[in-house]
Amino acid sequence: MKARHLFVVVMTVALAFTMVSCGSKESAPPASAPAANAPAASPIDMATVGSVGGGVTVDGTVAPPRKINMAAEPSCAAAHAGAPPVNQEVVVGDNKALANVVVYVKEGIGDRAFDIPKAPVAIDQKGCMYEPHVVALMAGQNLEVRNDDKTTHNIHPVPTNNQEWNKSQAPGAPAIEEKFARPEVSIPVKCNVHPWMKAYIAVFKHPYYTVTTKDGKFNLKDLPPGTYTIEAWHEKFGTTSQQITIGAKETKSINFVFKAAPAGD
Amino acid sequence: MPETHSDDPIQSRSLAGALLISAFLLLLTVAWSFYDEFFGLRPWRSYQREFASVYAKYLQKQIPIQGKREEEIRNSPEYKKLADQVKAAADVSKPKLQAIDTETTYIAARLAALQDTFTTARGKVTAAIYDAEIQPQGSNARKSRLKDVDEAKAETYSLELPTRDGKIEAVKWNFAKLDGEFNALKARQAALVAERGEALRPAKELQEQVDAYFKEKMEGLTRQQLSGLLNAAEHMNVDIRQINVNPANQSINNFGSGGLVDRCQSCHVGADPKLVPPAMVLTKVDLALDKNKDAPYASHPASAAELLKIHDTARFGCSPCHGGNGRAIDSVERGHGRYEHWLWPLHYKENYEAGCQTCHNADMVTEHAPVLNRGKQLFRQKGCIGCHKFEGFDDEPERLLAARQQIRQLEGQKRDDEIEIPRLQKAGDNAPDNAIAQKSYAQATNLTVTVSNIDAQVEQIDQRTNSLFREIKKVGPDLKEMRMKIRKEWIPYWLQHTHEFRPTTKMPQFRLTGDQVKAVAAFIWQSAETGPALKTNAPGNAAHGKELFETRGCLACHSMGEGANLAGGDFAANLSRVGEKDNYDYLVRWIHNPRERTRPYCPFEKRDLGPEDYAKHGLPFVFDLEHSGCPNDGHELQVQQPTVMPNLRLTVDDARDVASWLLTQKHANAKYESAEFMDDPKLKAQGLALVKNFGCAGCHEIAGLEDEGRIGTELTTEGSKPIERLDFALLTEDAKRGVLPDGKTKSPRDSWYDQKGFFEQKLANPAIYDQGKIKENPLDKLRMPKPNVTPDDITALVTFLLGSVDQQLPPEYTYKPGDQRKDIQEGWWVVTKYNCMGCHEIHVGQKSMLETLPKYQGDNKINLPPILISEGARVDPNWLAHFLANPAQSTTDTNRNGVRSYLQVRMPTFSFSDGEIQKIVRFFAAMSSQAQPYLPPKLTPLTDAERGMARALFTSTAAPCLKCHMTGDPGHDKNATAPNFLLARERLKPAWTARWITDPAKIAPGTAMPSGLFHREGNRWIFSGPLPPSFHGYAGDHADLLVRYMFQLTPEEQRSLTGRSSAAASGGAGSAGASH
Repeated sequence: MKARHLFVVVMTVALAFTMVSCGSKESAPPASAPAANAPAASPIDMATVGSVGGGVTVDGTVAPPRKINMAAEPSCAAAHAGAPPVNQEVVVGDNKALANVVVYVKEGIGDRAFDIPKAPVAIDQKGCMYEPHVVALMAGQNLEVRNDDKTTHNIHPVPTNNQEWNKSQAPGAPAIEEKFARPEVSIPVKCNVHPWMKAYIAVFKHPYYTVTTKDGKFNLKDLPPGTYTIEAWHEKFGTTSQQITIGAKETKSINFVFKAAPAGD
Repeated sequence: MPETHSDDPIQSRSLAGALLISAFLLLLTVAWSFYDEFFGLRPWRSYQREFASVYAKYLQKQIPIQGKREEEIRNSPEYKKLADQVKAAADVSKPKLQAIDTETTYIAARLAALQDTFTTARGKVTAAIYDAEIQPQGSNARKSRLKDVDEAKAETYSLELPTRDGKIEAVKWNFAKLDGEFNALKARQAALVAERGEALRPAKELQEQVDAYFKEKMEGLTRQQLSGLLNAAEHMNVDIRQINVNPANQSINNFGSGGLVDRCQSCHVGADPKLVPPAMVLTKVDLALDKNKDAPYASHPASAAELLKIHDTARFGCSPCHGGNGRAIDSVERGHGRYEHWLWPLHYKENYEAGCQTCHNADMVTEHAPVLNRGKQLFRQKGCIGCHKFEGFDDEPERLLAARQQIRQLEGQKRDDEIEIPRLQKAGDNAPDNAIAQKSYAQATNLTVTVSNIDAQVEQIDQRTNSLFREIKKVGPDLKEMRMKIRKEWIPYWLQHTHEFRPTTKMPQFRLTGDQVKAVAAFIWQSAETGPALKTNAPGNAAHGKELFETRGCLACHSMGEGANLAGGDFAANLSRVGEKDNYDYLVRWIHNPRERTRPYCPFEKRDLGPEDYAKHGLPFVFDLEHSGCPNDGHELQVQQPTVMPNLRLTVDDARDVASWLLTQKHANAKYESAEFMDDPKLKAQGLALVKNFGCAGCHEIAGLEDEGRIGTELTTEGSKPIERLDFALLTEDAKRGVLPDGKTKSPRDSWYDQKGFFEQKLANPAIYDQGKIKENPLDKLRMPKPNVTPDDITALVTFLLGSVDQQLPPEYTYKPGDQRKDIQEGWWVVTKYNCMGCHEIHVGQKSMLETLPKYQGDNKINLPPILISEGARVDPNWLAHFLANPAQSTTDTNRNGVRSYLQVRMPTFSFSDGEIQKIVRFFAAMSSQAQPYLPPKLTPLTDAERGMARALFTSTAAPCLKCHMTGDPGHDKNATAPNFLLARERLKPAWTARWITDPAKIAPGTAMPSGLFHREGNRWIFSGPLPPSFHGYAGDHADLLVRYMFQLTPEEQRSLTGRSSAAASGGAGSAGASH
């Protein structure tokens, strides 16, 4: 009799274990699940947010930009009749201010999720040049590519962590709408028909990024108090970063200086 | 214990009697064993002894006869004259030879005397040079060593040399002198050897002539050869004579299997080429033996000489060709393998070509085996292949089915992949880190590429399907079209009276009851298509139709007339009674283009598509070889009738004329009972079951049964099927006793209980194996219908079947050539499939069907299609491929031949698949031993002077070229009988053309092109007629000049030759406007 009781007890315990182990498999969501669909971690208190501003400059002599020969595409060459088109690789403003630099928060945001802006980010193809040369947008945000030229372009982003695509766009064709699913700084874009055309797309999972214009200034607003790594990326000079701590409602200023390579590069 | 007085068995009983008997028995047994040892189990011993004695007698008789013959030849004036010439030549060269020999002796003596000293001197010099060269350049040591070299060279040697006049001269020479003399002597020695050969040559050449003369005159073997044979016969060892060939790659495990052990020559001693050379033919008569005597000594007949050259008996033995059990030597029955369980018995005389099939089973046509070839052709042509699979024979249905399944499977995989791709992309978008994301994206990309590969694969299979749809042919007509083609009442009549209505038909006679006939007819009628309706045609001109029928080449395949009046080919149907059954409009369509279908067949939907399917996609109802995609799924459709009948490219008017004439071909009193039952829908299902049961779909295309398999036994190795597996049914005992199926007649070869007997009786009347059996269900009866075959056909078919055995020999014996012979092997399948030999001579000695018709005898031979024996050497293979695809050589002007538009007989369009064209082109190239691929040789361009000369010759009255050859001028071409020269460059090979113009009769006996246009002078061909003045002093070859001119001829040049206005000659060769 006793043995039988023992048996029942053992079986029950075993059964219970089985159920527990099965159950745990089913119920526990993976801790490291991607944040894309997860709800916002802790809402940002807009009353305490601060900002980081500053400027980007280049140190050293920068060679004057090379001219682009568009003879292969007369309709585009005509669009630049006044001023010959030049390479956009390094665009320097007054006081060595550096344009086309993406400045963004690299670390410190944590797992927070943000709403994706409804408005698309646009790239125009005008006179066989991309305008703007560098764009930044959030993952999942629409990118709108327009063709203002009288020629067919192809838009061919070559990402490392995103899906590659390559679409042609005839003159007058509707804008191409695309998205990138994953953050990546930065995705080179080229047009295989017009090899001089080049653009970069920086993709983020938060809204703390900006692209400098010719004045080299940047301002990252609405940052909740915390310690951040701010990074600046330039297509030719690479990246440079600084760490900064922001208190409630604090505004801080930092500057980035890229070193130009010795002449002749 | 008291002593008993009973008899002691040991003392009182004697075993002497039993022992005596035992001893006697033992003695008998010993005697018996001795008898068996020497005679009983060794019948070959007595055969060999007898052979040795009769053969020796024969040889002894022959030796004086042959000796006398030899003497006669040697004493003949011609021989003597030649022999004298040899002697004279030898006498002439004798002094010269003697001089050479004296000189040779002198030089040899002088060399011998010089040799030692020279070698010593050379050794010293070489050693000194070596010593010097191993010292550093410019060093003192080197300088001093070089001095040594000089010393060695300066050293003098005394020697005694023989001189020319026989004396001895003493000389003191240094190294340079020695070296010079030695080399001079060596060179002279070599020159003398050559001179000697030269001096001997005239006599040697004459001697060769003598030998050739003797060989030519001498019939049979010489006395010397015969004496050798006699010696061999007299000293013959009585022993087992065995041919043993082991397979090259035999391992320890298959030892004893495979390989070849033949002991046939132990009895058939005369077949041993060492004893009876191939040049000697030995018969019983020669050996003075009675015709009925059991004496297996005959050698191979003279007709086998060619075969034996290819099949050396030392390698092939006997049984691979003749059958039998090569190892057995204890009795005739065993050796011949004619006992119940031996699967490869000796072939009977009428079937002996079965042996060829054993190794040549992949050939459609085997040289030297006409009976076997006929058997194979019958197997295909009579539709046996419709029910019986046979490896190597037309397997397009199976391949089509396999292709379709492959497409289905690939498309399923594509669907799965297409579902998987977005899933992987999404997984990448949501991946926790970049490495995983990159992996997912890469997987998605790979799958995308895989899908694209699947598309490529499907496209390839579709293309193959397209080829297969062109290649697949059915023996019988498409039954889907019956309702549009055939008179309704005729169908049930035909089913019952197949061989009466058309005594030469391929269709076998099925054993159907009256009810079964009704059901089958009703099914055929109701399952056939009813539209879209045929175009209606006005009646044509029957008289013109008859002329067309007789001149366009229809009779190469079809026959016309009944009984004794029957004329034409047996490849296709006899058309004598077509008028009783065919619909006029259908016949017009058929003659205009036999490949045209009423509806295309979609193998994926398994149905014939109609206009409504095309309309759904906004497409016109147009389907042909250029529009063969399915409007619904894009895959290949069957857009052709699966008939081998080609398109003769007749105009619709001509087609009407022919059809009108054909419809007059009928029996005036033909009457058919009305057949209303054919519309009875209840009969349809019953008919379907019967049609399936009897395998009608093997030969006919039938709606719903397109994928039906073959219903008969596979016959690939039927010849060696064990006898118990052949169902003799109730005739087993009769067969063993040698009573024929009629129950009365005795079989001429006694027991017919073997494969041969089974096949012969089955082919003669398949119903016999149902004889006496009670089968309740009529469908249980044997299904094989009675084939329409003659006794000769049966012999051919049985020969083919008996040779189709499970191969016993090592695989390397099977004829699977890897060189050009493979192209020939493959080509024959296509050539026989389309009956090319109905119109053309393809190989030496073969006659085409047309050639035998009265219409093409005598003068009319020039109206025959071209002989193709040297086609591979004649034409550029690329041109041939284009020509085969489009024999009109034009897309617009098609009612004519592309090359010989003057011929009335028409080269039709076969719509070959690309593969078939390749096989035909390679076949012709291989038949003429042409190298593949063909690179046209570069011809030396004509100089202006040469062009002027050639032009002058072409237009001179002495060269009649342009009288017969077409020029593109319609007025002229009406009477032309040869192709346009403009075609030469693309079409012909220059080397062949040169051979052709110098002696065309050699290539095509009976050709209209005259021989003797050129004659040989020295190393070049000279035009035989009066030459234009410009030829004076020309050192080149005239034939070569004309060939080069032809190959560089332009339309302008041709116009200037004929002096025509350029307007009349527009078009040239490609679209030469031959008027009709």
